[in-house]
Amino acid sequence: MKVLHRLAAAAVLLLAPSAAEAHLVNTRLGDFYGGALHPLTAFEEVLPWLALAALAAFQGAARARWLVVVFPLSLFAGCALSQLLPSPSFIPAIAVALIAITGLSVAAAVRLPLPVLLGLAAVMGFVHGLQNGQAMTATTDQLLFILGVTAIGYGVMTIATGAAIAFLRGVGSWRPIVLRASGSWVAAVGIMVMGLQFLTPVMN
Amino acid sequence: MQNTPLRSSLPIAVLLTLVPLTSALAHTGAGVASGLQSGFLHPITGFDHLVAMVAVGLWGAQLRNPAIWILPITFPLVMAMGGLLGVSGVPLPLSEPVVALSGIALGLLIALHVRLPLVVAMLVVGIFAVFHGYAHGRELPDAADPTAYAVGFVVATGLLHLCGIVIGLLITWPIGARAVRACGAAIGCVGAYFLLASLGVIQ
Repeated sequence: MKVLHRLAAAAVLLLAPSAAEAHLVNTRLGDFYGGALHPLTAFEEVLPWLALAALAAFQGAARARWLVVVFPLSLFAGCALSQLLPSPSFIPAIAVALIAITGLSVAAAVRLPLPVLLGLAAVMGFVHGLQNGQAMTATTDQLLFILGVTAIGYGVMTIATGAAIAFLRGVGSWRPIVLRASGSWVAAVGIMVMGLQFLTPVMN
Repeated sequence: MQNTPLRSSLPIAVLLTLVPLTSALAHTGAGVASGLQSGFLHPITGFDHLVAMVAVGLWGAQLRNPAIWILPITFPLVMAMGGLLGVSGVPLPLSEPVVALSGIALGLLIALHVRLPLVVAMLVVGIFAVFHGYAHGRELPDAADPTAYAVGFVVATGLLHLCGIVIGLLITWPIGARAVRACGAAIGCVGAYFLLASLGVIQ
């Protein structure tokens, strides 16, 4: 009987009428989702992330594992410091150059020393963190936004790296070729966008 | 008696006045989606580009390993260099005739089953890639989202190479090899048509 009362009380508490927050953007968690979605809205960030994951896969699982730690932490650091540091004017140029560099590295399937791979991940994470952090306004819950950016960086990098490693482990000599071809696509995009950034002012 | 039809048509008239006569701009032509779409459609809607891209994959498949993957990797990278020329506004004379010429040349190479050394094949494809990239790059600065536009046309180009490779895999069978050579001849004819059109010989 006592158990029945407790269950009834729990049911009443669970069924207590409150507004259904189907859209969490209206709640305090909205800034978390804002941060999580922000990097996904631009090819300038998604492309090099995927290329970096493919590059890490070419280095083997043992080395690629470090990326899952270093990249999100760098994103976090960049995003957090964006509120303290002025954004240098050359940051967009570095971001675009990173697309070309990672794409070319994947196309060539280069074997990088671990510090170089992690250095590339750290620079990319930091630069993208700085850029994403610039999107925060005075009303943004900075901690939630930064955590959102970091979480999506961690999620994308983990899934993409894992998928690329699993893909390379499959049967067929065409598998690395597919990754290398996709790397050449990323590099081509990076080279052209870099040209657009550096050469268009000359036109005007 | 006259009022009845008037009354019944009045609501319809009111409804019609509420329908805007201007075109509905659901897609404003701005943003990532528009840039991606226009970039993706650029090589596909230009038939001279399309056949040349397919020809690169076909020729690579005909030349077999390693050309089957080296040519489609070479093309976008060199195409990007051509894109840079287009973006910077550097004048590249005869770009349209050379794009058409690429269809003729690659079509003939496939039709005649010419087996060039890999480096020479890369050079041939690379030269044509510059002109194709130039044509795409000229439109890049005007795109709604230049990065999305670049992604769109690079992906479309890569998928057209893949189409060519898949068709080229028919060379495993003797009749398939003939079909591939016939495809090459057809590509050459399309290239010839566009060359004559670009020179103003045919309208």
